[in-house]
Amino acid sequence: MDLLLSPQLLASALVLGTLYALLALGLNLIYGTMRLLNIAHGEIVMIGGYVVYWASTLLSLHPFIATIAAALGAALLGVALFGSVLRPMLRSGELMARVEANSLLIFFGVSVILQNLAALAFTASPRGISFLDEIVEIGTLRIGADRLVVIIVGLAACFGCLALFRLTTLGLAIRAIIQQRDAAALVGIDIARTNMAVFALGFGVAGLAGGLVAMIEQVSPFMGFPYTIAAFIVIILGGLGNLTGSLVGGLLLGVVETYGVALTSASYRSILLYGVFIAILLIRPEGLFGKRRQR
Amino acid sequence: MNRTAILPLVLALLFAAGLLLPALTTGYWLGVALTFFMWVGLVQSWVILSGLTGYLSLGHAVFYGLGAYVMVLTWGQMPFELAILSAGLACVLLAVAIGVPCLRVRGPYFVILTFGVSELVKFIVVNIEAGLGRAGRLIFGAPLIETLYYWIVVLALVATALAFLVSNSRLGSGLRAIREDETAAETTGVPVTRLKVIAFALSAFVPGMVGAVMVLRTTYFETIHVFNPITSFTIVTIAIIGGSDDVRGPILGAAFLMILSETLLVNAPEVYMIILGALLILFVLLVPKGIAGGLSGLLARRRREGAP
Amino acid sequence: MSLLAIDRVSKQFGGLAALSDVSFDVGAGEIVGLMGANGAGKTTLLALIAGNLRPNGGHISFDGARIDGLSPSAICHRGIGRTFQIVRPFAGLSVRENVAIAVMYGPGGERHRRRAEEKAQAILDAFGLGPRGDDLAGSLTLAGRKRLEVARVMGTGAKLLLLDEVMAGLTAAEVAETIELVRDLKVRHGMTILIIEHVMKALLRLSDRLVVMHHGRVVAIGDPHEVAGSAEVIEAYFGKGRA
Repeated sequence: MDLLLSPQLLASALVLGTLYALLALGLNLIYGTMRLLNIAHGEIVMIGGYVVYWASTLLSLHPFIATIAAALGAALLGVALFGSVLRPMLRSGELMARVEANSLLIFFGVSVILQNLAALAFTASPRGISFLDEIVEIGTLRIGADRLVVIIVGLAACFGCLALFRLTTLGLAIRAIIQQRDAAALVGIDIARTNMAVFALGFGVAGLAGGLVAMIEQVSPFMGFPYTIAAFIVIILGGLGNLTGSLVGGLLLGVVETYGVALTSASYRSILLYGVFIAILLIRPEGLFGKRRQR
Repeated sequence: MNRTAILPLVLALLFAAGLLLPALTTGYWLGVALTFFMWVGLVQSWVILSGLTGYLSLGHAVFYGLGAYVMVLTWGQMPFELAILSAGLACVLLAVAIGVPCLRVRGPYFVILTFGVSELVKFIVVNIEAGLGRAGRLIFGAPLIETLYYWIVVLALVATALAFLVSNSRLGSGLRAIREDETAAETTGVPVTRLKVIAFALSAFVPGMVGAVMVLRTTYFETIHVFNPITSFTIVTIAIIGGSDDVRGPILGAAFLMILSETLLVNAPEVYMIILGALLILFVLLVPKGIAGGLSGLLARRRREGAP
Repeated sequence: MSLLAIDRVSKQFGGLAALSDVSFDVGAGEIVGLMGANGAGKTTLLALIAGNLRPNGGHISFDGARIDGLSPSAICHRGIGRTFQIVRPFAGLSVRENVAIAVMYGPGGERHRRRAEEKAQAILDAFGLGPRGDDLAGSLTLAGRKRLEVARVMGTGAKLLLLDEVMAGLTAAEVAETIELVRDLKVRHGMTILIIEHVMKALLRLSDRLVVMHHGRVVAIGDPHEVAGSAEVIEAYFGKGRA
């Protein structure tokens, strides 16, 4: 009982929740605007993590800077992917329809490729950096400084994104496309350019998350997948296209998972995660964007 | 020669050759052939559901794994032939149980749902084994590899025959209607839920038995290995590369995979996986009907151009 | 004797009342036309009858038995067939297989695939689609696909046909052909038909009775020519002060 009520557990939940919220935002953006199920999202996180690891180990870059680099690098990767593969496809209607329908399989292939590229390049052994290992005390809470940084930076990034969506023209364009893609094109929104920005943002946020993860955990080539699953759960929970919902849902899932594991045991973590995942998909059988099947 | 007789003839030759193989060679190449026929059995079964209805399952490893688990749990308590059959039936039951809720979910959500179910069952079994105090299980006194080999060839034959029969039956037409337009199909009288569950159950039968036989080959059961998502991924990739419109596809795809894995798997497993991933993407985008479909298209064009 | 009885049916989508208190009968062997501006609720009503949707209130009875709440395949088995506003053929399958599926899974339940294909071919011949049997359904013209959809419904052996804007997008010649086809269905095959149309000429020529809907309610029922010229209908279409 002490454990349950401890601020330690709450802090852990916040760390996890922040990461999940960040990831869900990125995934929600890409799926909301382009209906592409980026199941390789976790691998972007993994890449971001490796960037920070190698940057701080080889180049002795401060992890903060490395994380920014990871985010920017991931954003560039997103732009490159979009520009080279997806934008030409957007022009061919038939090919694009196939991509959407098969986006899951395609991104699954991308995910397998990325995981194994990383394994090939970096070997499968986990690597960790030591960063801000000191403990910070806030009242009765004793938390690692690195975890505190994750919460602060993560939440800042989330709110930054939300501010972008609410307050800028780009954000408005993005929300318009999410709501009604064809109409958005008709009112003059440059779909291709906005989609590119979406990819940059979505990937960049994932890269940032990867950097944050590298601060507190070890990175390995196959670490990405649980994050992808969690992100999916959040966007289903929070509602598609509902970007604020991603923030709330992410924090919620972090809390549920952390407390759930505390109540049962660590080995139940996967059962919990996948169980929730399946339950949500079954409760909303019409899928994420579909209207509630009228009967 | 009558064109419609060619396919059954080729298949008969293939399986006959398969059955004769142990007389001609042993050890390494027998193992390769065994793996080939294993994939044929798995993918032909997968096609019964996913090829015909369009509901792509990315979780078929769950049946392979459950079949293996049934075998290790019953090892020594019943003749292994019976255990194999039980494994198959257990998977049919599982398919019916999860099929009814899961098959209401469509499109990409069904794909990730099946993946999630496979992972969930995996972790449940992991926890059961941990609760029983088992880290892995050994099997002593397993049958010879020749025996197992015959079983796999027979299972591959059964799966191929099943896929062929379903595809050409009334059931197959109904399943195809579901793939084309489920709402219109239902309005035309097709009992969509019932047919989907039947297809799912049929697609689970042979994979369960294959899993049971294969665990006897390795003589070692470890949950993470038998419920491996890479198995599911490979099944889908073989079907997409080979084609899933008729029984040739899985055979061609499995053959292609064996060539690839023979050259790469042992020495450069990551490169093998990367190539597999790339092929999946390539074929999904550019050659959706797979090699078999490509061949058919080529033949059709030849016929049109050079008709005597 | 009424074959189809719609009794105070209503349907809401969230806050929108798509249908309110709709009641009318369709007698055996009748052709009842259903008309109204877009959004009047006509297709919604058809979807309710065919089982694709469930009513929020009221009953629907066919051949004396309640059918609201049954699944679409169950309703098909009772003898009701529908076509769709936007044609929905099984595009990747052959024209013949489209109808064969109806023959196999409709109330007739032909278990033998070969025999089903023979029956399907006969139906295709009757509908002028005979020579296209082997072609992919997706390769037909719009008129062909609409015709195929009616042929598919016939394959199920339906007694009541729900036609949703079968004339939309057709040329004048195709419309004339389709009018004859529909009339033929009643006269030669004894089908009962509920037909939604915007093409007035077709409605007036085919319907024994005409039902006019507006904003989810029935505003007029009766003889086609009387109803079409009535004050309520003109008001519904053009607003007050024009009658």
